[in-house]
Amino acid sequence: MNAKQWSMASLAALVLLTAGCGKEADTPEAAGSGDKEMKGEIVMWHSFTQGARNDFMKEAADAFMSKHPGVKIKIETFAWPEFYTKWTTGLQSGQVPDVSTALPNHVVEMLDADAIVPLNDVIDKIGRDRFYEAPLKEGTVDGKNYSIPLYSHAQVMWYRKDLLEKAKLPVPKTWDELYETAKALNNPPEVYGLSVPMGLGDMMATRFLNFYVRSAGEALVTKDGKANLTSKAAIDGINYWVKMYKTTSPSGSVNFKVLDQATLYYQGKTAFDFNSGFQIGGVETNSPKLLDQIDAAPIPKINANDPDRGIETSNVPMVVWKNSKHPEIAKAFVESLYEKERYIKFLHSVPAGMLPAMKDIAEDPAFLDNPTIQKFSGAVKVISSAVDQGTAIGMENGPTLESGILANQGVIEKMFQNIVLKNEPVEEAAKKAENELNQLFKLYQ
Amino acid sequence: MNSLRTSFKRWNLTGLLFVLPAVLIVVLLLIYPILSSMYYSFTSKNLIRPHYQWVWLDNFRYVLTNPEFYRAFANSIKWTVLSIVGQLLVGFAAALALNKIPRFSGFFRTLLIIPWAFPAIVIAFTWKWIFNDVYGFLPNLLTQLGITSHNVNLFAEPSLVFGAVLFVNIWFGAPLFMVNILSALKTIPADQYEAAMMDGATPWQSFWAITIRHIRGVIGLLLVLRTIWVFNNFDLLYLMTGGGPSDLTTTLPIFAYKTGWGLKQLGVASAITIILLLFLLVVCMLYFRLLNKWEKEDR
Repeated sequence: MNAKQWSMASLAALVLLTAGCGKEADTPEAAGSGDKEMKGEIVMWHSFTQGARNDFMKEAADAFMSKHPGVKIKIETFAWPEFYTKWTTGLQSGQVPDVSTALPNHVVEMLDADAIVPLNDVIDKIGRDRFYEAPLKEGTVDGKNYSIPLYSHAQVMWYRKDLLEKAKLPVPKTWDELYETAKALNNPPEVYGLSVPMGLGDMMATRFLNFYVRSAGEALVTKDGKANLTSKAAIDGINYWVKMYKTTSPSGSVNFKVLDQATLYYQGKTAFDFNSGFQIGGVETNSPKLLDQIDAAPIPKINANDPDRGIETSNVPMVVWKNSKHPEIAKAFVESLYEKERYIKFLHSVPAGMLPAMKDIAEDPAFLDNPTIQKFSGAVKVISSAVDQGTAIGMENGPTLESGILANQGVIEKMFQNIVLKNEPVEEAAKKAENELNQLFKLYQ
Repeated sequence: MNSLRTSFKRWNLTGLLFVLPAVLIVVLLLIYPILSSMYYSFTSKNLIRPHYQWVWLDNFRYVLTNPEFYRAFANSIKWTVLSIVGQLLVGFAAALALNKIPRFSGFFRTLLIIPWAFPAIVIAFTWKWIFNDVYGFLPNLLTQLGITSHNVNLFAEPSLVFGAVLFVNIWFGAPLFMVNILSALKTIPADQYEAAMMDGATPWQSFWAITIRHIRGVIGLLLVLRTIWVFNNFDLLYLMTGGGPSDLTTTLPIFAYKTGWGLKQLGVASAITIILLLFLLVVCMLYFRLLNKWEKEDR
């Protein structure tokens, strides 16, 4: 065999190999549209790592595949931080799914990367009027809805009824009352008043500061897209959480991330905490005996007679990726998740943790007819009311890239660590962090 | 043209095809990442944005004028030097002790190598748990013994955190030194010690002139390999502290990761890794020069 023949043979082998690596039925024609039967394989990524929700997604995919025998849905599950790394790195090589869950600030970044497609048609088919307006708005740009809200939850204050009763103290309504009550209940190492989390690689300190700043009617990102850490409300908030850390928190909470923080409350080690309705499931799993001793109240205000203000709501949506070879299948699968009976079953997989994104479902007796939702009807009411008024952190003025930077870069967490560990003066640390955030905001423009 | 064809024919084409897979793997896994990092270090490459520009030396200028880079660099040097010295001393002491134990030497060797057998994630979470100031064994013990007035989390104390992570890394890495040094110790002929004793050498002189002389080649190679591994180590430290608190444990690999995956500035992160690569090449050259000198002396 001469050199030319070798080259031809190698080329042919390469072509055959490449062809062999292709997926079956990957051509766009294979995907059905309209009345045609759908055919093809899609990949779904979701972040429902817990048992019940994970099982639900598998069941939903199985049901969809039974109805559409030509369709195969491959499900991959990642926790939120892993999911973020996975899609940001996957985007480079086209290794992203056809359909996935997302967080509101992820959606903004996905839009910036031109990675997802509008879902107006899916929303219209389900019934646009059925959705709450605020969650829809979070993924809307120029009238195009790039995400479809799946469920909502909001941050509220969780407390231990038994500890308050024992100390004969009322549920605090203002930040000052919360400090005094947490201090009174602080009895380490048995129980800490309130843990103040500041761990890098999470947004917990940002979340806590946002509670205070929002309750003063301000936001951490201003209308003109600048960071706000040096206003009076922000400085007061920083001072407040530093004081609380020094008085009622375990010293290790400077490194706490969301799960470290929640676990303390789940195990009865903290008297107060801030979280959504997911707190109920966590306590039920870790310390079932404590379940009767927990309840939720609105996030404190600066003055008791201040107006009710929206604080932090998370509307977890679904998105369909631009790279999808079968967007029709992805969209049809998403639509199937909102069929009434199936959707309620999904919400009941974490009762009171996931609240409906649709108004009619929220009032539906079938949704309300759940033992946990009924047992915690007061807490559900508090969370529902908070859901209506709040937004994602930094999205008070609409979906912006700044909100993602604020939540993901750990600038505020580092600022808090520098104050409590290196004794940096609060104003100086706040100014430095504000400048750093503004520089990062510029970097992304 | 004819001479080119002749020289091409002179190559063993079948042989070349046989080595092709290995060459491809080396190119794909080693050369390609290095070249792509070099290329991206001169661009404004962003992790998720599709378009980027050629920015020449801007990324290097940004990195080399950033105080955080120098803090991370200093932490990397401190982390590497202290870890290696600690691992060498502990590993050496354990190897000498095991070499002298007449019975159950195999049992103790297996016992002492256990830390090395654990994956980084297990080590990180185990020590995080031990140091946890709410549930952790150590802070509670220290408080109960009256050594501390309240539970102290070693990973949250600025003055203690570096020492704590260093301790874990020495605990983890010392067994590798121990096993290799022990193997080298077993190869030293016993008659050399007897001859030295007959000549009136002190134990210290025997140790220095025979033991160290025999095993220094092994130690030298271990130092080269461990320096590269520890300097580049990311998982153990990141899982234990995430570089915190207050960046006190942020080393260069963590700084590069945060820049590339946190800030999504792949171009800048590539520049950091290229600087890291150059530094390690210089360190390795110095090490190998020393090893060559030792080899020449031993001939």
